[in-house]
Amino acid sequence: MSNQQETDDTTPDDFSTGRRNFLKGLGAAAAVGATGTGLADDLFAMDGLEVVDDPIGSYPYRDWEDLYREQWDWDSTARSTHSVNCTGSCSWEVYVRNGQVWRESQAADYPQFDESLPDPNPRGCQKGACYSDYVNADHRVLHPLRRTGQRGEGKWKRISWDEALTEIAEEVVDTVQEERYDAISGFTPIPAMSPVSFASGSRLVNLLGGVSHSFYDWYSDLPPGQPITWGTQTDNAESADWYNADYLIAWGSNVNVTRIPDAKYFLEAAYNGTKRVGIFTDYSQTAIHCDEWLGPEPGSDTALALGMARTIVDEGLYDEAHLKEQSDMPLLVREDTGKFLRASEVEGLSVDADRPDQMFVMVDGNGDLRVAPGSLGERDGQHDDSLSIELDFDPQLAVDRTVPTADGDAPVRSVWVNLNEELSNYTPEYVQETTGVGRETHQEIAREFGEAERAKIIHGKGVNDWYHNDLGNRAIQLLLTLTGNLGRQGTGLDHYVGQEKIWTFHGWKVLSFPTGNVRAVPTTLWTYYHCDVLDNADPETTARVEEAVERDWMPVYPAERDDGSRPDPSVLFMWRGNYFNQAKGNVAIEEQLWPKLDLVVDINFRMDSSALYSDIVLPTASHYEKHDLSMTDMHTYVHPFTPAVEPLGESKTDWQIFRELAAKIQEVATERGVEPIPDRQFDREIDLQSVHDDYVRDWETDEEGALAEDRAAAEFILEHSEESNPDGTDEQITFDDTVEQPQRLLEAGDHWTSDIEDGEAYTPWKRYVQEKNPWPTFTGRQQYYIDHDWFLDLGEALPTHKDSPTLQDKADYPLRYNTPHGRWSIHSTWRDSEKMLRLQRGEPTVYLNPDDMDERGIEDGDTVRIYNDLGEVEVMAKRYPSSEPGTARMYFAWERFQFPDRNNFNSLVPLYMKPTQLVQYPEDTGEHLHFFPNYWGPTGVNSDVRVDVEKVGDGEADGGEN
Amino acid sequence: MSQTEEGDAVDLAEGIDHQVAMVMDLNKCIGCQTCTIACKTNWTDGGGREYMYWNNVETKPGSGYPRDWEEMGGGWESDEHAERSPGDLPSEEDYGRPWEFNHQQVMFEGSDEPLRPMENAEWGPNWEEDEGAGEYPNSYYFYLPRICNHCTHPSCVEACPRSALYKREEDGIVLVDQDRCRGYRYCVEGCPYKKVYYNAMKKTSEKCIFCYPRIEGEGPDGEVKPPSCAADCPPQLRMVGYLDDEEGPIHKLVNEYGAAVRLHPEYRTEPNVYYIPPFAPPQHSDAGESLDAERIPRNYLEELFGPEVNEALNTIERERNRVERGEESELMEMLTTTDTADQYRLEVFDDG
Repeated sequence: MSNQQETDDTTPDDFSTGRRNFLKGLGAAAAVGATGTGLADDLFAMDGLEVVDDPIGSYPYRDWEDLYREQWDWDSTARSTHSVNCTGSCSWEVYVRNGQVWRESQAADYPQFDESLPDPNPRGCQKGACYSDYVNADHRVLHPLRRTGQRGEGKWKRISWDEALTEIAEEVVDTVQEERYDAISGFTPIPAMSPVSFASGSRLVNLLGGVSHSFYDWYSDLPPGQPITWGTQTDNAESADWYNADYLIAWGSNVNVTRIPDAKYFLEAAYNGTKRVGIFTDYSQTAIHCDEWLGPEPGSDTALALGMARTIVDEGLYDEAHLKEQSDMPLLVREDTGKFLRASEVEGLSVDADRPDQMFVMVDGNGDLRVAPGSLGERDGQHDDSLSIELDFDPQLAVDRTVPTADGDAPVRSVWVNLNEELSNYTPEYVQETTGVGRETHQEIAREFGEAERAKIIHGKGVNDWYHNDLGNRAIQLLLTLTGNLGRQGTGLDHYVGQEKIWTFHGWKVLSFPTGNVRAVPTTLWTYYHCDVLDNADPETTARVEEAVERDWMPVYPAERDDGSRPDPSVLFMWRGNYFNQAKGNVAIEEQLWPKLDLVVDINFRMDSSALYSDIVLPTASHYEKHDLSMTDMHTYVHPFTPAVEPLGESKTDWQIFRELAAKIQEVATERGVEPIPDRQFDREIDLQSVHDDYVRDWETDEEGALAEDRAAAEFILEHSEESNPDGTDEQITFDDTVEQPQRLLEAGDHWTSDIEDGEAYTPWKRYVQEKNPWPTFTGRQQYYIDHDWFLDLGEALPTHKDSPTLQDKADYPLRYNTPHGRWSIHSTWRDSEKMLRLQRGEPTVYLNPDDMDERGIEDGDTVRIYNDLGEVEVMAKRYPSSEPGTARMYFAWERFQFPDRNNFNSLVPLYMKPTQLVQYPEDTGEHLHFFPNYWGPTGVNSDVRVDVEKVGDGEADGGEN
Repeated sequence: MSQTEEGDAVDLAEGIDHQVAMVMDLNKCIGCQTCTIACKTNWTDGGGREYMYWNNVETKPGSGYPRDWEEMGGGWESDEHAERSPGDLPSEEDYGRPWEFNHQQVMFEGSDEPLRPMENAEWGPNWEEDEGAGEYPNSYYFYLPRICNHCTHPSCVEACPRSALYKREEDGIVLVDQDRCRGYRYCVEGCPYKKVYYNAMKKTSEKCIFCYPRIEGEGPDGEVKPPSCAADCPPQLRMVGYLDDEEGPIHKLVNEYGAAVRLHPEYRTEPNVYYIPPFAPPQHSDAGESLDAERIPRNYLEELFGPEVNEALNTIERERNRVERGEESELMEMLTTTDTADQYRLEVFDDG
């Protein structure tokens, strides 16, 4: 500023008084439209300023412009990204100025592998664009903290690293010594977002004999219909493949909000001749950019999908060849038992298979019975590429006849006939009545879908969070199978919710679980069990849960002891996740589970709700202060975290923290002379006296101390993974390569269903559809008929529409309660960010339809109470005309401390789950469905809940009663 | 108006060599506000600028940022640009206050208060996010990103009695001279888009600078970069270049296809930011059938973008149909980011 003297009295700080005085001083007429020439002359005279003849073009005094040029300045940059469960995996450039992180910008240098697709750059979103605020924020944990108040009170004492690690180590050594090592739990989700950090604690927990928790099923991200029908947890095309589709349905997947870096492929498909249909209960942020929007009633998606399937079948739009070769439609089912007809049951049918009772039967064009190839009975386990499902005969789809068996003639029908019978229920009238979607409209969409050359469905949480999500998944999958839209570019069902797996699978696995013996637990069941829900659930559910545990279909830890007792869990480590805040059944977790835990440790860079409700909080490096890797199934690249600055305060990286904890445990155990303890389940000993040495040892080469540092661990992952270091080639991706530029992965290992091909977006299922490998199901085919006893009991052998279970009566709680993923956070990360909150309303809101607001006397901005029989939360009402009447929508993941009573969005949700997701199939051997973390296990659903909303009276808000 | 006749040079403000311009494709705007944050971390993160969003994104229909800016006047009375229309000064409340939060107390000091703005939150720059208008199931809304339009006839420049605002000769960027400005706020009143902001701490007015240090390549790496809001946009809905670059997509979209139109042309400042207008799925009947009826009322779009919006929408629909039939369309190709670098043509003039 060059001149200070003359007009300061007319420009006070405050806007309103400033304006008043200003106008008084200079005359209102001048302020409102006169050109001001005379006034300017006066001022120049006062000021001694040079006159500017024409500020359009010839302004002479431009030296000041350096002011902003000097702000566009930095000292160094580093490549990093964000360890958040958003599937983004976006590479960023972090700018450092004066030793501090200043800002970040997308690195925008992903190499383009197919120039006919939109440029992959830049990937990122508004949240990633202000992560720098977390690095230096008020919420940053800078020192080890031990609580001094109650859990959750936010009262802390700063302690030294040595004090913190010693306290934890002693508790761990006690627990292991008492042979309660399976009472030690480690919760950390999503390896792909930062596999070194994932592995850090998982590796220690594995060495200790502790329990590793699943997450994909717990978060209800796992679509159970995929393991049921396709024998695979999930496999998706990378988002670039959306652009290859001619017809795109976004079904309950709000890509414009939840897949911001990928939305481009959806949006630009419009300019490539693709029709885009949105199926959302509200006129959502993605619906606004669709060519057509269908708005089914919440929870009615299955009926809509089956109505569309009926149209496709009735109008002959199905792909007969695909169904015959790739699906179970031609297989015969016994009408008397509901079970598949097994080849071993048929009189006179010659079967060349090890287990003829696991071989299935078709009818060929001549009416002869034929054994279907590729079933489990002739396979070596779930995955067996040595066989083919290709047929040398033409099976009949529609079969309804009898078959000679040892017990006489058995009536049989093909799955296709059974399916047709089921679909006959979904008349246009029924569909309209059940879903609210028009009779003509849903048939027209089905018709267009059936006629498209390449049709794809993007499938999301909106249809996956329901109790009957498995039925919904199977019904929507059916549309793709019927039309043969699988295993080709631009087709498939892409379910993007959470990150179920990691490209560099093998390297990650052996880093995280060096002993090879993993005590993994389905987190939904573990939580359900230890919250004592079994005591309160309906008797049928309880009986089925107990049966599933008893038959070892699903594990629960701590394991039942020989005397029939089962200890409570006692030590919980949480890192990279906010288990306590994000848990369904929040009330039960706080009241039942938390008191059972003797020691809760949270490793965090910020004080989230889990940290707040912990006993010890350890400060970890932020995402800009460490080495790690980042991957996602939305793309086929790997790129790194590298430190832009040193960890702030006393924080250390996750790898350092767990390594130092291992060292402390080894020290304490050595002092106490703790002998190795035999593991009760696995053939190994838990040796606390070598736990640190084992932690830093490279178990692949036996090199001592090789994995002391984060970066070495990252390199280890790349070196030991097929995707980055393929067998039999000279090609290899090193950490340095990823720092230079994101690298496209080289090959896809066995846990994928297609290869990564040059110049093409990854699209799954080619190994089955194109190469004819048996699908990893019981029948070796896409299996829509499940003849498991429980499925038959419940009438769910085929996909069928069922109403939601009644958790709350509609009469008492008329509004459906929905907690979708929102724009402003990745789960709870950024929920507390000042920059993000300023672009919302600063506090939790609920989106309501104006009619529902009017009925209750609620206005936009009012404080309202959302409540049901489980709890209540206080939030601000937001008017949302695009909401279907009868719903209360709260974008989720607000932290408990953002609510006056420390309840949260999950306080209104019970812990409930569907028992069919606990089964093993086949019942006795389980090759098709068996517990495997994040592959098959009960999903933690939450969308069947009802609530009501009322205005909070004046003077009642903020604090309220409980 | 500066629309060219066939073959004529593009009309620029007199005395300006070249004019920077931007086209924003509203059919790709998802309201994510990455642009808003990119701008904020670059320019308005402190020093009295906390409340400013040089780039904002507002839900339309809606009162926007600052609240009801479209009703505050400003601009010009006629196409002669001789007399300015009177304008109002928004209040601090109209912008929304930059709330401070109680993180420390809640997280580390044992407060039992919720984490909330320390003053009551009653309005903010994105308060009406996703709201729009109409009734379910035929409600409608879309997102409108806004920066300074760097107008050909900037009424803010004309409004300043100290001539502290000017339009740069080489690129037409409109700036507030931070040395000369005394914070009278005539420019704030005079701008009909309310894209000049008063900094009460510095006692000057500030505004979008079209990231001139970036497009000049003035950073330590010496690279010419597009404005932050454009560079960081995930769906890459912005094209940046010069209106008078007749080989560039902006000139074609604006002057040849008429597919990109101005926001509130009736303000007569002749913005150099243009918009591809939004389309939307059709309306539903009570029985849940899709109808042959536009969801966003045409008269609302005309209110925002003037009558030219009709031709723009027709052109886009026609070209989309061509591609659907398997034909080529230059327009559709221009709207597709096959190569992000093609979005930005900033180094086309030797003298620029």
